[in-house]
Amino acid sequence: MTALVLPLARFLFGALTVAVGHGTRVFLVLSAVVDAVLIAGMCTVLRGGACTVTFGGWKGLGIAFSIDIISAAMAALALTLSVAVTLYTWRDRMRPSIAALLHLLLGACYALAFTKDLFNVYVLFELVTLASFLLVGADRRPRQVWASLRYLIFSSFALSVFLFGVAVVYTHGNALDLDAVAAAVARSPGASWVHVAAALLVTGVAVKAGVFLFALWLPLAHSQAPPAVSALLSGLVVKMGVVQLFRLSLAFPLGVPLTVLGILTALLGIVYALWAHDAKRMLAFHTLSQIGYLLVGFGAGSEAARFGVIDYAVAHGLFKALLFLAVGEAAAVVGSSRVERLVAERRLVPRGTRVALAVAILGIIGVPPFAGFAAKAVVESGISSVVIRIFVFVVSAGTVASFAKLWPVVFARSSVRTAPPRAAAYGLLGTAVVLFLPISRAMGPAAVWAATLRGSAYVEALAAIAVGAAAYAWSRRRGPRLPERLFRLEEGVLVVLAGFLLVYALLRGS
Amino acid sequence: MKTTRIVVPAAACALVGAFCAIAWHGLDGAGPNAADVSPWIESAEALGARNVVSSIILGVRILDTLVEILVFTVAVLGVRYFLELPHGRAAAEEIPESRLVGVSAAILLPLIVVIGTYVTIYGHLSPGGGFSGGAITATGLLLVAAAVGAERVGARFHEGAFERVEWGALAALLVLALLPVPFGKAPFTDLLPAGAAGRLLSGGTILPYNLLIGTKVLLGTWVIIHHFLRHRGEI
Amino acid sequence: MFGWQGVAAAVVLFGIGTLGVVLRRDLVVKLLALAVVNSSAILCLVSLRVRPAAGPPLLGAGATPVMADPLPQALVLSAIVINFAVLALALVFVMRLVEQYHTTDSHRIDRRTRDEDAE
Repeated sequence: MTALVLPLARFLFGALTVAVGHGTRVFLVLSAVVDAVLIAGMCTVLRGGACTVTFGGWKGLGIAFSIDIISAAMAALALTLSVAVTLYTWRDRMRPSIAALLHLLLGACYALAFTKDLFNVYVLFELVTLASFLLVGADRRPRQVWASLRYLIFSSFALSVFLFGVAVVYTHGNALDLDAVAAAVARSPGASWVHVAAALLVTGVAVKAGVFLFALWLPLAHSQAPPAVSALLSGLVVKMGVVQLFRLSLAFPLGVPLTVLGILTALLGIVYALWAHDAKRMLAFHTLSQIGYLLVGFGAGSEAARFGVIDYAVAHGLFKALLFLAVGEAAAVVGSSRVERLVAERRLVPRGTRVALAVAILGIIGVPPFAGFAAKAVVESGISSVVIRIFVFVVSAGTVASFAKLWPVVFARSSVRTAPPRAAAYGLLGTAVVLFLPISRAMGPAAVWAATLRGSAYVEALAAIAVGAAAYAWSRRRGPRLPERLFRLEEGVLVVLAGFLLVYALLRGS
Repeated sequence: MKTTRIVVPAAACALVGAFCAIAWHGLDGAGPNAADVSPWIESAEALGARNVVSSIILGVRILDTLVEILVFTVAVLGVRYFLELPHGRAAAEEIPESRLVGVSAAILLPLIVVIGTYVTIYGHLSPGGGFSGGAITATGLLLVAAAVGAERVGARFHEGAFERVEWGALAALLVLALLPVPFGKAPFTDLLPAGAAGRLLSGGTILPYNLLIGTKVLLGTWVIIHHFLRHRGEI
Repeated sequence: MFGWQGVAAAVVLFGIGTLGVVLRRDLVVKLLALAVVNSSAILCLVSLRVRPAAGPPLLGAGATPVMADPLPQALVLSAIVINFAVLALALVFVMRLVEQYHTTDSHRIDRRTRDEDAE
């Protein structure tokens, strides 16, 4: 029952923030405390096993929330990120309306972590879209306004495609609850409606989840938004799309399309990230590539791989948010977010920010024993195909290569101090990244961990770092001109449609 | 450029055509006989409402409705925030209206308000509810704004209090939803009795929800209309 | 009257709307086309469960022996409000962009933001 109250409590705090008018920070702190209590209560319930709760008790008719390890992990991630963002923006004077948007966005993310009803997913994604779209344009600068408008048009289009998928599912399956839909699919697995519905639903969700072909709005939106908003978008909102893709993959046979899409996304993301000149854009491309990595893990299908994917999703949320916050502050201080200028004027960047940047980069490139290494090891232990393991290695090396150009910013002799609230935000996320391994070991099934942390995992991680450093040295020559027209609105919509056809073809073929 | 002129439209037609063909193929199929409506009828009877759709949106699937209200609220917030006039800048010029519009607005406004309120209150007994009722009443305000000018109508409402009342209605809605929780029940359970079907005071909490939603939609729609009217012709 | 004709119309409208979003340069026309796309999804949902001689889903005095399926109607209520909200916000953003750049041509706005970005 606490899961049902969690999003509602957040919404209530959001409403009260504007209705009362002042005391914005008080409400932010209070709601964080309430959420922590509720999530702790939910975790204790979870010890007894996963369960499903329906709103109002209307079994079979109403909206069901599923309380399992995914939802608990995502809820905890959401809470951590929200506290970090609250601390980061403590000194900025936030209007009550903007704070209310944050509350509503978080409440919707909580609900998305739990929900198992297709139309509820549609409505919650619309709320997430609108709230984050307003937050991206919150400074009201024209560039941000244009980035947000494109984001809105893409999302709205994709969610209409999703609604068509809901229509197909309802016509043939007579239900909107994912469990009932899974039963209907199991009754006739090869039916054509299953393929069409799965392709439509996946297209809709993939646009929010950051899959490359579908999420072409992502680099522009995430790089133009204020740093705290980028942190939330890349760290949290994209994960909710991934969670819904996961839940869809439990109902529909999505193994092959997910693997293919994952490989495409990861490779294309790395390629664009290697030769990106703007730090924030590079981070956004990295988000895309790591989502691809998560999808490959889902597609692999084994239980270890799935647990590893959830693990990695949480880890990625943490260090990506930390990266966006640190790079955002650095860019604000230096006056530009281009990598050359950040490296050239790194003396201006405060000490705490540079430490945070260092921790985050170590996390993302997979240095043992930080967050990225731990989760990657679990995912790789669940993948049996050699081809995919080589591909994963290449992606890891590519990640190292593209972050190598940001690494010099960490080393500078400067004595500028970071403001305490921001330092607290960095401290929170940085500690989570550093201590990730013991925390997730405590929470995950022991059998999975025993098989994972053998010596080979360490060797692989270090080898990827070495190869990546070498690749960076090679890539310092002038890079190829990558097609940018793909990211325009018109071409982007066409690419989404092409992606839909690809998914449909893969489903028919498998 | 040649490529843009030819390649993009051709690709667009091909892709869109393929999409439509596949979607049509998927939607073709199970006929209307598959629908079994009796579970919904039972839920409506359990809630004491006559309007089955109302019992769905404010009973069984109320979370969807709540999130949709939040979407509407966020939209109103966005309109307010992005169409704020900076200090000292006047709104767009008023278009002088004809006397005919003024007279007919004076006659029609009470009618519209009564109909809108009726649709809101009787949402659980006949088709209607908070959304339609609020929209109808807001149209009445729009008519008056067309007659006497948006600024004059807007001047009657204190802007700050307006926002608070709007979000206060939302907070009241959520409090009503969370009220059963301290008593150990799940949120959204009906605390009010179902009552005799067909009477005004029936349907459990559907009536209070409809009233709150009607208020919210009315205020929100008026804010959107007001800001759009103030900004016209500002290029 | 609805039923499969409605679903066919919905699919065709989706196609027209998508072509409008992709092929037209004017931002306002793009938004209109997006509204058409959203409405087509709603039309599809509503036309799914149409039975001949079905009455409205009301109990009591107005009831007919065959009742229309209330679930798509409930879903569509939410979807309509959401589409209205999205359209209103998109128009607001277009207004701000036009205020700044004095054009509704999306290609020109794209180029100007990209030039500003490159500085």
